[in-house]
Amino acid sequence: MSGRLPIVPGEWIDRNQPIEFTFEGQRYSGFAGDTISSALHAAGVRAMGRSFKYHRLRGIVSMANHDVNTMMQIGEKLNLRADVTPLENGMNAMAINTRGGLRADRLAIMDKLSRFLPVGFYYKAFHTPKSFFPKWERTIRNTSGLGEIKFDAPRIKTPKRYDFCDVLIIGAGPSGLSAAITAADADAKVVVVDENPQPGGSLTYQRGVDSYVDNALEELLGAVRLRPSIRLMLATEAAGYYGDHWVPLVDKDKITKMRARSVIVATGAFDQPAVFRNNDLPGVMLASAAQRLIYRYGVKPFDSVVVLATNTEGYRAALDFHRHGIIVTALIDLRARGEGSEFAARVQKAGIKVLNGFCIYEAIGNRVKDHVQAVMVCPISLKGEPQTHAAQTISCDGMAMSVGFTPALNLLYQAGMKTRYDQTIEQFVPAGLPAGVFAAGRANGIFSIQSKIRDGERAGLEAARYLGLGAPVGPVIVPAETSSPTHPYPIIDHPKGKNFVDFDEDIQVKDFVNAAQEGFDNIELMKRYTTVGMGPSQGKHSNMNAIRILAKITGKPIQEIGTTTARPFFHPVPLSHLAGRSFYPERVTPIHDRHAALNAKFMQAGVWLRPEYYQVNGKSKDEAVREEVRAVRQSLGLIDVGTLGKLEVYGEDAAEFLERIYTGRFANLKVGMTRYALMCDESGVIIDDGVVARLAEQHFYFTTTTTGSATVYRELTRLIAMWRLNVGIVNVTGHYAAVNLAGPKSREVLQLLADFDVSDTAFPYLGAREGNVGGIAARLMRVGFVGELGYEIHVPAEYGASLWDLLMEAGKRFGVRPFGVEAQRLLRLEKGHVIIGQDTDGLTTPFEAASGFAVKMEKPFFIGQRSLKIIQAKPLRQTLVAFVLDKSHTGPAAKECHLIIDGEDMAGRVTSVAMSEALDQIIGLAYVTPALAKVGEKIHIRIDGGAMVEATIVKLPFYDPDGARQKISPTPEAQIAT
Amino acid sequence: MKTDPVAPLRTSPLNATLAKLTTQWLTINQMRVAANIGTPAEERDKLQSVALADLSHLKRCGLKGPGAEAWLKSAGIEPPAGINQWAPLGNCSLIARLATSEFLIEDNVGQDYADRIRLQLGRGVPGVTPVLRQDAEIAVTGPRINELLLQTCSFNFAALDLPARPIVMTSMIGISVLVIPGTWRDAPFYQIWCDGTYAIYLWEHLIEIAEEIGGGAVGLAALFPDTKLEP
Repeated sequence: MSGRLPIVPGEWIDRNQPIEFTFEGQRYSGFAGDTISSALHAAGVRAMGRSFKYHRLRGIVSMANHDVNTMMQIGEKLNLRADVTPLENGMNAMAINTRGGLRADRLAIMDKLSRFLPVGFYYKAFHTPKSFFPKWERTIRNTSGLGEIKFDAPRIKTPKRYDFCDVLIIGAGPSGLSAAITAADADAKVVVVDENPQPGGSLTYQRGVDSYVDNALEELLGAVRLRPSIRLMLATEAAGYYGDHWVPLVDKDKITKMRARSVIVATGAFDQPAVFRNNDLPGVMLASAAQRLIYRYGVKPFDSVVVLATNTEGYRAALDFHRHGIIVTALIDLRARGEGSEFAARVQKAGIKVLNGFCIYEAIGNRVKDHVQAVMVCPISLKGEPQTHAAQTISCDGMAMSVGFTPALNLLYQAGMKTRYDQTIEQFVPAGLPAGVFAAGRANGIFSIQSKIRDGERAGLEAARYLGLGAPVGPVIVPAETSSPTHPYPIIDHPKGKNFVDFDEDIQVKDFVNAAQEGFDNIELMKRYTTVGMGPSQGKHSNMNAIRILAKITGKPIQEIGTTTARPFFHPVPLSHLAGRSFYPERVTPIHDRHAALNAKFMQAGVWLRPEYYQVNGKSKDEAVREEVRAVRQSLGLIDVGTLGKLEVYGEDAAEFLERIYTGRFANLKVGMTRYALMCDESGVIIDDGVVARLAEQHFYFTTTTTGSATVYRELTRLIAMWRLNVGIVNVTGHYAAVNLAGPKSREVLQLLADFDVSDTAFPYLGAREGNVGGIAARLMRVGFVGELGYEIHVPAEYGASLWDLLMEAGKRFGVRPFGVEAQRLLRLEKGHVIIGQDTDGLTTPFEAASGFAVKMEKPFFIGQRSLKIIQAKPLRQTLVAFVLDKSHTGPAAKECHLIIDGEDMAGRVTSVAMSEALDQIIGLAYVTPALAKVGEKIHIRIDGGAMVEATIVKLPFYDPDGARQKISPTPEAQIAT
Repeated sequence: MKTDPVAPLRTSPLNATLAKLTTQWLTINQMRVAANIGTPAEERDKLQSVALADLSHLKRCGLKGPGAEAWLKSAGIEPPAGINQWAPLGNCSLIARLATSEFLIEDNVGQDYADRIRLQLGRGVPGVTPVLRQDAEIAVTGPRINELLLQTCSFNFAALDLPARPIVMTSMIGISVLVIPGTWRDAPFYQIWCDGTYAIYLWEHLIEIAEEIGGGAVGLAALFPDTKLEP
């Protein structure tokens, strides 16, 4: 069995740091720097996972972050790719997608049933009888899936981070490093990002017994180290490309949002597998995977290997294997003429048997199919047909494939790149890049090492030039490739199938033929029907072969077949990374800590936190709310209303401006008075309300709804500019604290603190005053939202907490109670006051919401007036009414949003409902059809469970119908407003 | 309206969260201010990474309108010529130009530009509107300040030309902030203003990140060890 090689120069492992871990309950050891796969392979483990659909044993394929059949679960972390997951001490890794463990997987039977499970079988098989479908659905869902989500997993807080650079280079291979050096020499600040923990890209494993490669890596890294303006970000993936060169970089701990001024994509190419029967057997891998095992991890990938090659890289790989003591039993070259480079002679010299014009017809596994033990090879005709009559079997314990590449263009596609299919190298290459985006190296169709370095220089210079950096220089000429590194059709058909194109989803060649026969014969449809490229690797080693197969089936050129869309992310990204820290802005009033000290239960109101009610030991929420309501009705309550939007307008056109934006009249509002204000949009729909106070002839202070202030302010600012009015507007929502002191005793308490007369005569209902309260400069509005004598007191935010303390202290002798939103909602409901957003929706007009009193249609203009004129001429669609349930009602209560039913029809909905202690019955507001909106009419509310509850329509308000409690002595101003 | 001389103390928007940390208090500008947070050694360590302090006690006022620039000049204050620039007013007080015609004036302790302007302006004059400024203000300093900023804000502060006295109005962890970047005692020193109702949200997130990178909250006495803090 293979194991570790003697120390390999440049290897990534530290042999002085052994690491113990378990896999499927068995103990193993590896070294620091190993991945799970490299350590397991070194320990002789070949089968590391099961395939998704047929549960076939699978092993290493790429060692390049594409081995989706060897994904592991480690604790709560699932779907970790073993080929790139660093080994850690004490790791307990388990293969995913098994029932009973890797070796004893009960679902291995699926492989035997595979002929009954072709692609799309579930689209057809389980629809009849229809009643069985849910059962089938459950069965399939339980059978499929990757990894196990642990719902008790701890919350992982990951940072979010931004970063900036002039040139972002994605890929630290030869072209990326040379691009970095060139750009840095032009004074650019450069960041080079690479998903591997060490730089060098293909130079670190595609050595090919070539001293130029060894020297090139040393020289490039040395030059990078000498340039402090180059930052290397390793073990970091560029996960996507977004507009304006915005690239999320994903590392172990976080996502960094990199904003670059230009981007060079030097992401290389994906080594592509050949397609032949049993090409998924453990031990069959890409030549580059075997080279990675050797040069990065010091692991001997095989003892004896058959190499399938169609390019120079395959020959170089064979020489690498030979150098490290691996018996290269044969090199099978699909090309009739074989290799034309010097490496053909070197392979011959090494005594390796080369069979030109041959193919691998199938790989042969051992009894339990956990590793390859031989391959069957045969000549292949010029048309690509295997000549099986001349087949021969070659023993081996491994097989390495090097049949071509597909460029890693995913990020460039996302950037908006166009491509063309270059037949000289049999791959798509960039043909039109967005401004500031450049491609280099294999991603750009350049393969020889010297040319890759040269192409990197070119890209680095072009990026610098794009940024206006560096001295002008002539163009850098990069020679074109002289031979194709990629075979045009490395796919061998086999009557028994199991020649896999997509390892993620177990898709075979015949599945594509079937899909085309079903009519799914363009690439996007075929992708969706067969699910090729839809697994975790997103088609990185299957899409190109799928395109080649479809081209062959349809007889179309590959350019015409095209490619599928490459969406972010390049590799899967942990959800914890995407979540990052919880940056959800939260707003608190200047009095917040006082509420917390009073045991408030907070609730969200938009971005604000507001006291819902104040918890009382030994009492329920309902009891606590009732006590708060009682305090306001009988004596004194205090509520923080600092969340209200607060705006002020100044200037000679201020009154005119308010006339235009609100439905009511404000030009005639006297200084020192307030008025209810209703705002509509152009369609006549209510969007906000508040109270306007005229503090001086050209100075108004007004409130908006809690959630409306920013929107209203933005819109009003726009309107001022559009109308060219002489108005200054200021949003002071966060700069003023505000409380409402409410209840029969409020005046007495206020008088204790105010330095001005607050008597009914001096400060009438709906009056506005400025004065000192407890020594604090304050704005006061005598309003009656909760239906009692009450004063809204606004002070600069820095005095909010002090004001609260003073009022609570002064109110002690009257048993003052702080009250929250719940009590306030009930209090205002008893008065029939509408809450915008609760008793209105996105279509409600003032006429429907019983707010016609606030609309002065005779005004010359206000926003929404034209629409309201049209609406006014038509019959009402619905109208807001008050209703009560019979006092004897004891069953389940109606709730907000319950429907009003009239016969068989929906006739409206409940918007507010609560138990009123003052009225000793359940009261509410509801929209009903106008036909039902008559005092005394019975309506029927369908409550939870479908039962009907009868209610009676009554006149508003429910409580204190004459307003005596809030007005004390009505004034002419009050009469205007109401 | 003018607040009485006998008015209660002002309260910083950050008072509730600072009350959990502060070991020694000062009263400056009628506001309780954290003088020290933790031991002197702890505060020194934070200053070696990234340290945050509350500067909300500084008095400030705002004004805006088409006539604001001319009115300021007539009041003896020369505003900065460029938009999004600030200018010193003497003894570390400053005036910031937030837009074409909006200004913020902030006094250092012992100065009275803001009070004077506020009283002179009253309810405003034609073309000039007074703006109540009850912002929270946070000072951030230390060699690792950029790491804190990179984790909280998508603006590239490192690219700014500090001698040009720039002002940055941007979003930090989802809320609007005004930032003046500068230096103090050879270390980067940034002043961040935000709506006081968001102050605790901003502060607590900044502190969480600062602590992860070895910093945290400090008192004014640690931030300005050579300065007489109480007038």
